[in-house]
Amino acid sequence: MTLSNTRPASGPADRPGFWGRLSGSGPYAALTDVLLASPRRQFAILLIVPVIWVLLTHLGPILQMINVSLLTNYPPGPNNVPTYTLEHYGKFFTDSIFIQPFLRTLIFSSVLTLTTLIIIYPVAYFLARHVRRDRQMMFLMLLLIPFWVGEIVRIFAMMILLGNNGALNLALQWLGLTERPIPFMYTGFSLSAGIIYLTALYMLMPLYSALEKIPPSLFEAAADLGAGPWTRFRRITLPLSLEGVSSGCTLVFLISTGVYATPVLLGGPSTTLFSEVIAGFFHVAGDQWPVGAAFAVIMLVTALLLTGAFTKLMAHLAGRVKQ
Amino acid sequence: MTRNTRILMQCIYWAFVLYLLIPLALMMLMGFKDSKFIGFPIRDVTLDWYLAVFQDSQVLNAMGYSAIIGVLSTAIALFMGTWIAVALTGRSFWGRAILLGLTLLPAVIPGVISAIAFRIAARLVGLEPGMWAIIWSHAIHNVPFVVLVVMARLSTLPKSYGEAAQDLGADPIITFFRVTLPYLTPAMIGGGIFCLLLSFDDFVRSFFLGGYEPTLPVLIFAKLRSGMSPEINAISTVVLVLTAVLGLWAERSMRGMKKRAAND
Amino acid sequence: MTKLHLNRRRFLHGTALGAAALASPAYLRHGMAQTGGEVNIWTYNNFVPDDFKAQFESETGIKVNIRLVDDQGKQFNLLAAEQPNPTVDILTVAGHRYLQFIDSDLLAPMDTGRLSNWGNINPVFSESDWGTINGEKWGAPILSGAEVLAYNTEVVSAEEAQSWDTLFSDKYSQQTAYILQDMMSVLMLARGYDGNMIEYLNDEAEAARIMTEMRDFLIEQKPHVRKYYDGGAEVQQMFVNQDIVLAHAWNGPIATLITDGFPVAMTIPKEGSYGFVYTFNIAKGAPNADNAYLFLNALLSSPEIGANLSRSSGFISTYKDVEQHLTEIERKATSFPEEQLAGLQFFRAEANDLKYRLMDPAVEQIKAA
Repeated sequence: MTLSNTRPASGPADRPGFWGRLSGSGPYAALTDVLLASPRRQFAILLIVPVIWVLLTHLGPILQMINVSLLTNYPPGPNNVPTYTLEHYGKFFTDSIFIQPFLRTLIFSSVLTLTTLIIIYPVAYFLARHVRRDRQMMFLMLLLIPFWVGEIVRIFAMMILLGNNGALNLALQWLGLTERPIPFMYTGFSLSAGIIYLTALYMLMPLYSALEKIPPSLFEAAADLGAGPWTRFRRITLPLSLEGVSSGCTLVFLISTGVYATPVLLGGPSTTLFSEVIAGFFHVAGDQWPVGAAFAVIMLVTALLLTGAFTKLMAHLAGRVKQ
Repeated sequence: MTRNTRILMQCIYWAFVLYLLIPLALMMLMGFKDSKFIGFPIRDVTLDWYLAVFQDSQVLNAMGYSAIIGVLSTAIALFMGTWIAVALTGRSFWGRAILLGLTLLPAVIPGVISAIAFRIAARLVGLEPGMWAIIWSHAIHNVPFVVLVVMARLSTLPKSYGEAAQDLGADPIITFFRVTLPYLTPAMIGGGIFCLLLSFDDFVRSFFLGGYEPTLPVLIFAKLRSGMSPEINAISTVVLVLTAVLGLWAERSMRGMKKRAAND
Repeated sequence: MTKLHLNRRRFLHGTALGAAALASPAYLRHGMAQTGGEVNIWTYNNFVPDDFKAQFESETGIKVNIRLVDDQGKQFNLLAAEQPNPTVDILTVAGHRYLQFIDSDLLAPMDTGRLSNWGNINPVFSESDWGTINGEKWGAPILSGAEVLAYNTEVVSAEEAQSWDTLFSDKYSQQTAYILQDMMSVLMLARGYDGNMIEYLNDEAEAARIMTEMRDFLIEQKPHVRKYYDGGAEVQQMFVNQDIVLAHAWNGPIATLITDGFPVAMTIPKEGSYGFVYTFNIAKGAPNADNAYLFLNALLSSPEIGANLSRSSGFISTYKDVEQHLTEIERKATSFPEEQLAGLQFFRAEANDLKYRLMDPAVEQIKAA
């Protein structure tokens, strides 16, 4: 199949199929009379389900997290009944050792998001514009297959690829390119190699779906008007794929602020990220849940503010292009 | 696009495929190693690890359990995510930004915290730990991804499509099912694959909300404590091959359906 | 503080008391009255051998449900989230985590009078002082581990591995790895301090000074270390991939490498080291407490089961008379010479509040340095 072979369906009136019969039936008409009485009512009905779902299932956990972050101790024990406090938030702002991994994470996530974008854009472009439509799904699947293997198993495979006695070093030595093994593992190199593996998919999907729906006729028209390849890219492709860039970057950024297993297993001694700090409060013997929760709230609020601003900026850019 | 840039992009694509597939090839290879650990050199090879996967009822059960959880949670997330995306797109109303923010929250709350919050919430509503609790938590976690992907596609739906249908007398419900939904299908397939992947790879929610039956990641984590053995590589390879075959089959049958529909 | 030294003879042979009764499974004789029901267990992979589980189920009619855990902290949080009506009967706690579980009122005291096979446990473990808190026993020890110095025998000599100092020598720069928190405790011991920090309960200034000394030393050593790791699977993979030749590790993962024929060995260096014990504990409010006692008694019934546990986990058995049921390489992988065992002490939890209040920030600072 192709992903975009969808035309607007012909109206229900021209052929009395299932939909035609449905729209003509009495109970359906009665129902729609109630549901669709006014645009206002349509809107309310459309909105009520998401609002209930979001309030019940999305807000609950976050309130719980905020609640825990304000308690003196958690889980509560019979000998230590918790009271409310703000000290865990204060800890972040007064103790300078936490600022560094926090800033490192923000910088790291930004750089990583940009890198992923630069690597994946040509891949998505090639897929969307240079592969025959009926073969696109196949090419896309080739990129999706690896993600069916769990993160941990993939990381260990990465280790036997990059280790001192790993496949890459063995190959280099066999080719005579190096005599002593090159230490790839536990460096910025192994860390990036592992994390881009993890985030590539989240960039690929939105970019691909944004790129594949740009009508080819636009390019032909532009070419007829004498626009060169670079101009065509700058004036047509890039602006029209901004939506994809925006959601891809949002996803990758949010996910990379929270990645845990990959940096722990592939990073070196000096690459501690904030998620590791947070996880430390949950795992290490101290079990300081409230501190971990408070730090998680801080990270969350920051990440949301940044992506919110980023999305606004992209929407603004896209809006300007349309004019 | 000039010929050169096209070739360059083709090279980038295949280099990227290589980068993705080489670790997997190593993983498959290590499943044949006759040792308790993966790594070079491979002195002896054996088929035992692969054969054991099909004889180990615990592993097979975990695969089936994870598959059921993945499919059901994806169905719920797709339904809910698409609904939310449709409600949020193309309208501006008071509280839209707040609603969007809340919608995206589950994707960014640290796994441990959301898992424990779910655990406490599940007890409040009387949901026993087990399959449905896991499905519920996976669905909630995956809704934001569906919303993002579907909203991106929805924002490009030409207004004229819907107007044309309404001019022809279709009410908004029929317009949605006959115009909007088909237009969204690619995004929903993409989002659905996302959800399946996330559910299939989730450890922390499955651990906290599960009962005494392990999902595949929970089982693999427990096995990992005694070392990354070729057994785990063999299990992962089998899962990989099964899903690849299933994916190819689904792709083929969908293409077949399209063809028939086109000839209709 | 009381130092608990392990003595090889007591450790591996124990007393001969009751050994004759072990020949046939004890639960055959005691378990007949019990019919049906179930018992719910949280434990690590391979801590309940499959064949034992099958035999227990068929002979007692009690269904054994096992929930696999992989981390003490997660298990604690899960149990806390299940209060006040836990689903679990038996859980697996490391001895030095007792206080945390007991303080949160999550464990039931163990009535050893209901375990006729209690005497099959080596008294070094069953009667040790860390196991008795508030005048009660809290768990049945099944396996024991130690913090060891592991080394690739093709690169590092056995003599060099006699001291923790080798881990910090320039010769093996960038070829070492350790678990940061554990390394700090061991390092304190190696420098002549109390790594459990119990001696400094009344002298917080001294405790802080020692922690700063350890922190500064490890920061100074940072350019020479390849990796601060967390899990056993990681250190195994680093040895196999030859990313490291020397590491601080738990004995279990290294024992598995040894039995697989990899050229690695381990020692308890001359400065000494710390040990820990895994116990099976009964949860407070356990829904099937009677079945739990029956299960524990059956598990303790024979040294063969102890040997089986040791073999599959790589940790040291706490049972008496397991040695005869292990092959030579398994014995080698799960035991230490007498003079090395003499330097082994157990982790204790009495001063954990003080210790981790100082250690957690120190660890953050080392990582951030």
